[in-house]
This record gives sequence, C-alpha cells and structure tokens, in this order.
Amino acid sequence: MSKNAELLPGTLDMLILKAVSLKPLHGYGVLLRIRQISRDALEIPQGSLYPALYRLEHQGLLATDWGESENHRRAKYYTLTAAGRRRLREETAGWNRLVSAISAAMNTTSEEV
Amino acid sequence: MLARVRSLLRALLSRRRFEAGMTEELRFHIDQYTEDLVRSGVPVEEAGRRARLEFGGINTVEEDCREARGLKVFDEARRELRYAGRQLRGNPGFTSAVILTLALAIGANSAIFSIVNALLLKSPPYVHAERMGTIYTRVTGPRGYDARHNLDGEQWELLRDHVPALISAVSTRGTSGANLEAGSHVQFLHAARISAHYLDVLGLQPALGRNFSEDEDRPHAPNSAILSYSLWRNVFGSSPDTLGHSILLKGEPYSVIGILPEGATTPLNADLYTAIQAGREGAGAGTNFEAIIRLRDGATWQEADAELNRAWSLRTGRYELKDNPGAQVSFYCVPLQKAETAQLRPQALTLMLAAILILLIACANLAGVTLVRMMRRAPEVATRLALGATRWQIQKQFWIENLLLALAGGAVGMGVGWAALRGLLLLLPEHFLPVARIPLDGRVLAFTLAVSLFTSVLFGMLPALAARKVDLRSSMSSRAVAGAGSQTLREALIAGEVALTVVLLTASGLLIRSLIHLETLPPGFNPNGVIVAKASLDDVRFHDPAGLRKLLEESTAAMRQIPGVQNAAVGISLPFERAPISGDLTISDGPAAGRQVETDMVFVTPGYFEALQIPGLVGRSFTERDGPDAQRVAVINQTFARKFFYGVNPLGHYLEKNLLIVGVVADVAVPPGVDAAAPLTGEQAVYIPYRQVDAQTLSLAHAWFQPSWVVRTAGPVEGLTGEMQRALAGVDPTLPFSGFYAMRDLQAKTLAAQRIEVALLGAMAALALLLSAVGIFALVANLVAQRTREIGIRLALGATVQNAVVQVGRPGVGASALGLVLGLILGAGALRVLRSALYGVDIYDPLTILAVALTLAAVTLVATIVPTLKVARIDPAATLREE
Repeated sequence: MSKNAELLPGTLDMLILKAVSLKPLHGYGVLLRIRQISRDALEIPQGSLYPALYRLEHQGLLATDWGESENHRRAKYYTLTAAGRRRLREETAGWNRLVSAISAAMNTTSEEV
Repeated sequence: MLARVRSLLRALLSRRRFEAGMTEELRFHIDQYTEDLVRSGVPVEEAGRRARLEFGGINTVEEDCREARGLKVFDEARRELRYAGRQLRGNPGFTSAVILTLALAIGANSAIFSIVNALLLKSPPYVHAERMGTIYTRVTGPRGYDARHNLDGEQWELLRDHVPALISAVSTRGTSGANLEAGSHVQFLHAARISAHYLDVLGLQPALGRNFSEDEDRPHAPNSAILSYSLWRNVFGSSPDTLGHSILLKGEPYSVIGILPEGATTPLNADLYTAIQAGREGAGAGTNFEAIIRLRDGATWQEADAELNRAWSLRTGRYELKDNPGAQVSFYCVPLQKAETAQLRPQALTLMLAAILILLIACANLAGVTLVRMMRRAPEVATRLALGATRWQIQKQFWIENLLLALAGGAVGMGVGWAALRGLLLLLPEHFLPVARIPLDGRVLAFTLAVSLFTSVLFGMLPALAARKVDLRSSMSSRAVAGAGSQTLREALIAGEVALTVVLLTASGLLIRSLIHLETLPPGFNPNGVIVAKASLDDVRFHDPAGLRKLLEESTAAMRQIPGVQNAAVGISLPFERAPISGDLTISDGPAAGRQVETDMVFVTPGYFEALQIPGLVGRSFTERDGPDAQRVAVINQTFARKFFYGVNPLGHYLEKNLLIVGVVADVAVPPGVDAAAPLTGEQAVYIPYRQVDAQTLSLAHAWFQPSWVVRTAGPVEGLTGEMQRALAGVDPTLPFSGFYAMRDLQAKTLAAQRIEVALLGAMAALALLLSAVGIFALVANLVAQRTREIGIRLALGATVQNAVVQVGRPGVGASALGLVLGLILGAGALRVLRSALYGVDIYDPLTILAVALTLAAVTLVATIVPTLKVARIDPAATLREE
C-alpha cells in the first residue's frame, strides 16, 4: 500500500464534488471513480463516504435521484447542482494556489533565500 | 441556508422514506463491493464478511448520515421525550398527583384571575375610558368618610356651568321600573333618567336619531325618550317609524328622539332612557343624582379637581358639615373603572390572595413529591452516571420530565379554569358584575402559562440540583436512599402547606359563620307563607292621591277574597329591602325634642303589619280610619323608640309638628340605608299610612321605588299568582306586575355578595384541604414504601402491626399538628383584614377554630391511615428471605 497517499483532512468533499462533476454517480461509483482518477493512489475510508455525501446534499451542493445501476438494481445517483459546480471551481482554485505555494516553499534551496 | 432547512424538513416530514432510502443505499454499496470482491477471486462467504468489515459499523455510519442531515438533535429530543414519557407512565401515582395538583391550582388561579382581571384591570367598554370618571367626597374630622358623591340639583347646576375642564352629566342611581303601553298590552321595563351629554360622556351616538339636547333636559320641557336597541327590536319590531313618534310611557306620551346602537352598554344598562330634567326642586332637592364626567381634551385632572372645589364652594347647602364640627370637605375626580369596581375590590383581592395561597400549597406539594421521587431514583441516577452519562444529560432528563408534566398540568388546568369560570359566572346573579361578560382572555392565558412554567422551574430545580450531589459509591451499594435531611424538609413542607390551609379554612369558616348569622338573624316578621308582587306606580294616573287610594284599597280587598288568602296589603318597601329615607325628620316633643334625624320612611296600607306578622309592641297599627282627612299618624319601630325616646313611652308624642305616634312595632331586618353597619340590620324606621302621604312625595317616591303587594296564605294556594294578577287587573287592567317573589328570594338577593364570597372561598379552602391531604398521603405512603424492609424485620422480631403503623404514621400527624399550630398563629395576624367582612362573629371565634382543628384532624387521620394499611400486608418471612 506504499503507493497510497494519505487523504488530507478537508479534501474528501472536494474529491467527491470532482468525481460527481464528471458524470452522475451512485455512492459506490464515487468510491471507484476517486480511486480511478487518482490512479489508485487515494483510498477513501468507506464508512466516511456516506456521511460526506449526505452533508453535501444537505448543503445543496449535490442533488440526488433514484436510477438504475449497471447491473439493473435501483441505486441513488448523485449529480452536481449549480451551487456545487461553483463550490468545485472555488475549491479547485484554492487547492491549486495552495499546492503551488507549498511546492514553491518545499522546493526552495538555501541559495535562493 | 434555505437549502439546508428544506433538506432537514424533507427528512423530518418523510422520515420513513429517508430511513428506507439510506438503508437501501448502504446495502447496495456493500452488495456491489461484495460482487467486485468475488469477481477478483475472493470466496463468496469471505467476500461478504470483508465487505461488511471494511465498510465499518453500519449503525455508526447511519448515525453519522443522520447527523449530517441535522436530524441528530431531533432524534435525541424524541428519544428523551419518549424516555420521559415512559418514566411518567411507569409512575402513574406520581404523575397523576402532579398533574392533578397543577391542574387544580392553575385552574383555580386562572378562573379567579379572569374575574379579577375583568373587574380591576380591564378598562370599561367606552372610547378613551381612562378620561372618564366620577366624583368622590372626602370629609375629614371625627365623622370623616371618603366615598362616591351623590349630587343634588344645586351641585349639578354648578358642576355643569362652572367646571369647564369637564364634560359633565348626571343620571339616576340605577334604573327604576316603568310601564310602557305597547299596542294592546302594557309592559314593565327598566328605565333610567339621564341628563343631556350623558351619552356624549360615554362616547355613544344613537344608531338612529340623536342624543338629548340641553333644551330637552330643562325642567318642565316636553317628554322625550331614547330606546335601547333590544327594546326597539323586541317591542317595536325595529320599525324606523318609531323615531319621531310618541310612545305611552308612565301613562304619558314621550316622543322617541333616538335609538341606541346594537350592543351599546351604559353603566345603567336600562331598556329606555328619559331626560332627567334636573332642577333644584323635586328629586333635585335631595342628593339623588350620580355624576359621570369626561375630561376635555387638553385639561388635566388637577385642573378639574380645582375647578370642582371652587364651583362647589358656592353651594348654599353644606350638609356634610352637619353634626361634624371642625370637618373639612373636599371633592375629587376618580377614574370610572376604579369607582365602578370599588365595592367589589376587597372581595376580589381576598379571592386573589386565596388563589396565591393555593398556588403556594400546590408548590409545596409538588416540591415534596418530586423530592421523594428524586431520592427514590438516586440508584438509577448513580447507575447512569456509572455507565458514563454526564450530569448535564441526567439534569436535562429531569427538566424534560418536569416540562412535560408542567405542560400537561397547564393544559388540563386551562380546561379546569374554563369550567370553573363558567361555574363561577353561573353562580353570580345577573347584573352583579359591572362588566357585560368575562372571557378567559389572552392575558389570563399568558398568566396561566407563566404560572405553569414558573412552577415547573421551581419544583424541577430541586431534583436537578440534588442530582449534582449523588455520591456514586454509597448510592449504588446501599438501598437506604432517603437521607434524614430530606425527610425533615418534607415534613417542613407539609407543615407549611397545612398552615396555609388552616388560614384558608379559618377564613372561610368565619365567613360561613357570618353568613349563617346574617341568614338566621331574627327577621322580625314571619317570612313563611308570604308571596310578594311588584308593580311600577310611576305613572301620571297614580299621581292623583284619590286614584292611588282607589287602586290600593280595591286591589288589596280583591286579593283578600282569593280563597286561602289570609291577608293582603301594600308597602312601598319590604323587609330585606332598602326603604325610602328621610334626611331631616323633626322630632317635635319628648326627650329628643327639636332633633332632626335621618330615618327610613315606609308607606304602608292597613294590614301591612298583620300580613307580614310584624309584632306590635305598644299602641295600635293602622286602620281604615286613618284616611287623608283624619289625624296624621305614624308607627315607629323599636330602634327609633330606643334611639330617640330613651325609654319614655313614645305614644302620644309628635313628629313633624302634627304627626302623632300611635304605635311601636318590632324591628325588621333591612339592608342599611342610614348607617352601613352590616348587610342586614334593624335600623330606625317610621311607618306612615299610604293614604296620608301627599301627592308630591308620592310621585317622587314612586319614581324610585316599586311598591309591593304582600299576600299571606295559610298554605300553598294553586294558581295564586294568576289570581293576584286578575285581582289587580280588576281594578286597573293596564297595570302589570313585574314579578312575583318569596321573601326568601329578597333575602338571598340582599345577601348575594356574602353568599358568593362564602361559596368561592369555601371552594378554595376545600381545594387547599384536598391538596394538603394529597401531600400528607404522599409523605406517609413514601415512608411505608421506604421502610418496608425495616418494618418487616421488626415484625419478624415480634413488633405488632399497630406499633409499626404508629411509627410510620407519626411524621404525617406530627407535620399536620405543627401546621395547625403555625396556621392558627398566622391566621390570628392575617385574618384581621377580614374583620370588616364579618358580622356577629369575631376573628378569634372558638367554634370556628375548633371546627377547623377537627376537620384537619379527620382529614389528616384518613390521609395517614390509608397508606399505612399496607403495613398489615407486609410479610416478615418474605422480607427475611430477601435479606
């Protein structure tokens, strides 16, 4: 499991929004999609996925709808709302700023000081 | 924010759908995962186990999801409510005791408070009622008083013309009977006389027509009348033609100039109003008018008082200073509401005080019962603490239980209050309250709710505080739960509530004794077998003395002919009724010669004393020979003889120069007119033959008093009232009787206020007694429950059941006895305020105190013995086995 990265606190919501933004998904699908787009590097603790989904729905960022799964079972599908899309944009921008700032800081050498 | 509220509401409203959806979603996840694991080669059983394991505790996840939705608070509240409900249901004795106590206390309070609110707090139903008022007189000096002022004609003219700060009006004091000829029959109605601007002061405009003008209100102006809406509708069929036409009232034509709007009330509430036309003659020669005033815009009460005192300093008659040397007289305006309710204020305040005592008693009960419950629950609290509950959680649980109880008690209490208010209002005679109707209004409900919450806080605090002190180890290891301290506190609470109960019991006992005294006062005549009919003689036809004589003589003669009738007579007033008063009757000779005295003056026909069986003491009664042209004669009563003849035989002495005293009769009980000593007294009275009264006095007296036809029968006579009406119609077919009464009705009417006070206070004392009994019962019952083990061991060791009963019952009896002593001491001080309401009984009445002590002893014994009956059922063997 050495290739797995630690999930940073507060990033789960952002990842869920990203995953759902690509295509409407059911809960298990969200788990698979995050694993896929992180190239198997991120493993979401299954128990904390659903409370996060419920919280995002409660905040009006996700909408839900019952649909049919790939193997023809009834499943609850999550889609991004307008507010969710806006939030995703803000979080992405914020994340990118943070990442570049931290990597700039971390790559600094003693000569540059 | 809005989205969150909506999502929470959706989850709350379709909770079942939310839960089902959540379960299905999670199961779908696990199934999918399992499938994926199987596909990757994991054996089926192993796959299911691993999927569930990796997912984590499904309950925890569900709980986290609910919390994410904001449902947690509601779930907890619901759980706590359910738990509290279960606790309360599991303890029906405690729960019903608390709810009953709360309901009775709150119910009694809100009913009483509704009445007090209507009487003392609510303003009268007029526009800007706070600017309306009436006039009071304040006289200082040895015979000082402070009371509502009645005006004579001179004062009225000065008030009207010289007090610009006020719009002033006068009216008669109350209504009097009058006959209205409507079509073929004559109707008896209640009429009042009012001055111009009276309706302006009230802010009332007629629905049709107009108010009385100043011209119509001058003496000897043409007759005019204003009708109430109900009279116009019921008698004149709401015909618009009524306005401007004349009606035949009191035998004379009156032109109708106005009709009041529907539902309009006045302080008089008459069927019909005529112009008072007050001058200095006739009714204006005496203080027969009542003032009602309204402050003009921009003026102040101080200005009005100053102008009033200046205006009335111009008076020629200063009767207040008669027999009162060195006195000072001043006048002042009093707000209408205060004046209208002044008479009922002491009673209303007494009742309110009683209601507060009831509330205190209830609180003591609740605190006691809750304390015991808390002590009994100490092991439960300790267990929950040991299992990790925080003290705050446990306290919260107590608060929720108490809030539930308080709300239930408050709700039931509102029902009780509504019913009690209905009952109280039914108890009151009509027109007893100066306000039209009393609803259980919003302020009262707010008050009730506040009381309910306050009580909850008060008695909920004790166990909540006690929870902080529960010691884990000792509570769990020992089954002996109640400490000695709490037992003492309980007994103190019981003693306190018993003391308050004793005060209430004593107060109502004294009032009952006082009422019995008044009701059993020797009436001075024989009230049994007498029936009375009243009619209005305020009619031009009877202003002629000859016409009146004919009516009285022939109608009484016809009534004597009715089979079974022994005697019949007419009097202008009767025992148990106010009589006309003469303010300045001169005693011409005898020991008090020259004195002018105030006395009742009763006009009667021959046979009056015989029909009522008022015993004659000396001399003779009136006969047919005492006619208009014979020597003018009078019969005086015993009090008059005692007060003004000091043991000298009054026969042969004269009043008013030529009024010869020919007899002395016993006193009869009357409401005070001259000296307000008691609700019924025997005060000085002079009886005059109806036939010797001059025409002017008669018409004046008949404007205020409706004479009574008195008929005495040997036994019940079938259809007597019909026969009496026929006898009257035989003489005057257009004169209606206004009603028929037994003497007991008149007595009850006079004592109505006392009777109501006794009923109300008696009911509240009974309520207090009931609450105290519940308190004592709960105390002893709890002791029995607590000591079952100990008693069992004692019984096994040879103690008798009696010994055990005495031992557990002792604290209840002891607390009650202590309460009795405290209550008597408290009552000795507090009940002094009752003194003015008591007649014929002192506040230190041994009989009342004895009755209170015996009642309390009986109730205490019952409340103590009933729970101790359980002791006999304790099985010593079972107790020993348990050990």
